[in-house]
Amino acid sequence: MGKLSEAIVALDKEGVLGAVKEGIHTNTDPIQLIEEAREGLQRVGEEFEKGNYFLMELMRAAQIFKEAASLINPKIQECYKDITMKGKVLIGTVSGDVHDLGKGIVATLLKCRGFEVIDLGVDTPEQVFVEKIKEHNPQVVGMSGLLTTSIPVMGKTVKAIEEAGLRGRVKVIVGGGVVGEVKTSDIGVDYATSNANEGIRVIENWIEKE
Amino acid sequence: MKESLSRYERIEAAWNLEEADRVPVSPLNCYILAYQGGISIREMFHEPEKFIEAVVEARKKIGEGDQEDPNITTLDHLSLRPKSGWDQVTLDWRIWDQFPPEGNIPSFYEKCIIEDYDDVMERGFSTILFNKKIYKDVFERSLDDFLYYEFEYPEIYAKAWRKFVEEYEVPLIMGGRATIPFELVLYYRGFAQFVQDIFEQPDKVKDMCEFVLEHEIMNALKQAMIMGAGEVPGAEKIFFQAGVVGPPYVSPEVFEEFVWPTLKKGVDMIVKRGFKAHVHTDGDMTSVLPVFKDIAKGLPKGKVLLDFEKTDMKKAKEVLGDKVCIWGNVPASLLCYGTPTEVEEYCQKLIRDCAEGGGFILATECETPWNAKPENVRAMIDSAIKHGQY
Repeated sequence: MGKLSEAIVALDKEGVLGAVKEGIHTNTDPIQLIEEAREGLQRVGEEFEKGNYFLMELMRAAQIFKEAASLINPKIQECYKDITMKGKVLIGTVSGDVHDLGKGIVATLLKCRGFEVIDLGVDTPEQVFVEKIKEHNPQVVGMSGLLTTSIPVMGKTVKAIEEAGLRGRVKVIVGGGVVGEVKTSDIGVDYATSNANEGIRVIENWIEKE
Repeated sequence: MKESLSRYERIEAAWNLEEADRVPVSPLNCYILAYQGGISIREMFHEPEKFIEAVVEARKKIGEGDQEDPNITTLDHLSLRPKSGWDQVTLDWRIWDQFPPEGNIPSFYEKCIIEDYDDVMERGFSTILFNKKIYKDVFERSLDDFLYYEFEYPEIYAKAWRKFVEEYEVPLIMGGRATIPFELVLYYRGFAQFVQDIFEQPDKVKDMCEFVLEHEIMNALKQAMIMGAGEVPGAEKIFFQAGVVGPPYVSPEVFEEFVWPTLKKGVDMIVKRGFKAHVHTDGDMTSVLPVFKDIAKGLPKGKVLLDFEKTDMKKAKEVLGDKVCIWGNVPASLLCYGTPTEVEEYCQKLIRDCAEGGGFILATECETPWNAKPENVRAMIDSAIKHGQY
């Protein structure tokens, strides 16, 4: 791991921004810089899954990454015109649930990992999921919910996606406090987790296989 | 089976780390009482006598625990001054006429309320209380409406619960509720901003935690006095809520540095004023159990209880068993999606791990979901009777 990755893992904002500025100053390939920053972020995610880091650290790492990216991205645009995103993810907290925190963390992490994220917000009706899938054509749909009552709503939303003939076009992942304890087959989804980083990993694997 | 102790005596024995006739059982029932009692959330929040009738009806369906939660949120949700900061900031008070709700039950708002710590600390707490960002309805209601909910309604509410406690001999889980400053400040700032504060202005976060502590505790004690502390069994207990204050949300280091100082100080304030502290934690506190060893340090025996959600209860018993009563932790998902047999097996294991020597109350992890299966909640209560005899 390079200096930049290490600084991200250490949650050392000054170190990260210093390394980025130095890289830009010495004409390092900006893609290399962003990938190194991502590597650091990925390591933080791994440490989170091992239980060595916590949600607060995960969020902090993403914040630092975003600041670093705001310095690097203009350089990327200067050097590479047609850079493509890794993939497109539509994400929202399901109808009847106004919890934003978990969904917000996942959306931030996905953006940091190079995904285009369409965030539908909270309390999202089933039909909005359906319409936005038609509009944006994502590869993955992520549904979030903290309440136990959100679980059947996730099932209903999947059904609405099915009825609209869109289920075959998207992978569906659900996440939230108790969601990881639910059988995926009960609500017709492809993956269920209570762990933000695990969710990101699963989405990355799906997209890579495509 | 005839029971030799009253419910309150059984609960008190557990707080005092003594074995009673059996393990006490106390699901933390909130909206499930309204749902199973056949009333709407609106009725639950506006008509205390109707709510009590619903509680009695619900207990017939879900079983009769040794205590009941008076849902303190409903005591003062429409008043302003004595409201807990947690209610003020975090709950979306859409109140529905139907149950199951078409929308959500009251839920968390996650948004930035405090823009400047110094401003709040300089100008005082009213800058938070009278804030359109928190509670825009406040500015649309009449003075009469306020006065009613400020002064009359809490009395009516407390009277209804007092009658329930006396008639059915069921003590209250709590008389007042406070939120741990760290969590309160987190809600006031919003998670993303708060994370940045922890790393970039840690001293301000600590100052703000100190600043909100006294207001929050005094408010809870005031609630408990209205509910009849000293006269109504259980009303002397303050539910000191610590949701997003430990793993997996924050690290043990952050817990120790930012959460613990005002948590312990708050517990001391509650107990030194003659009340009892029911410390409610969410998340998995297993890694910080050693810190909790000092939660009752310097205080008389039987005044503090620790309530756990995802924590390893066996480990909690090992570490804290001789210090404080522990409470927990039948999973919400099991109560909604499991079977009575699975619930019974879970409870049996909990009792085996935690009950020896007293100091354990069989309870839900956080609250009983409103959509929990009645037969599962009943299985939990029956398990205490079947497997929890001393």
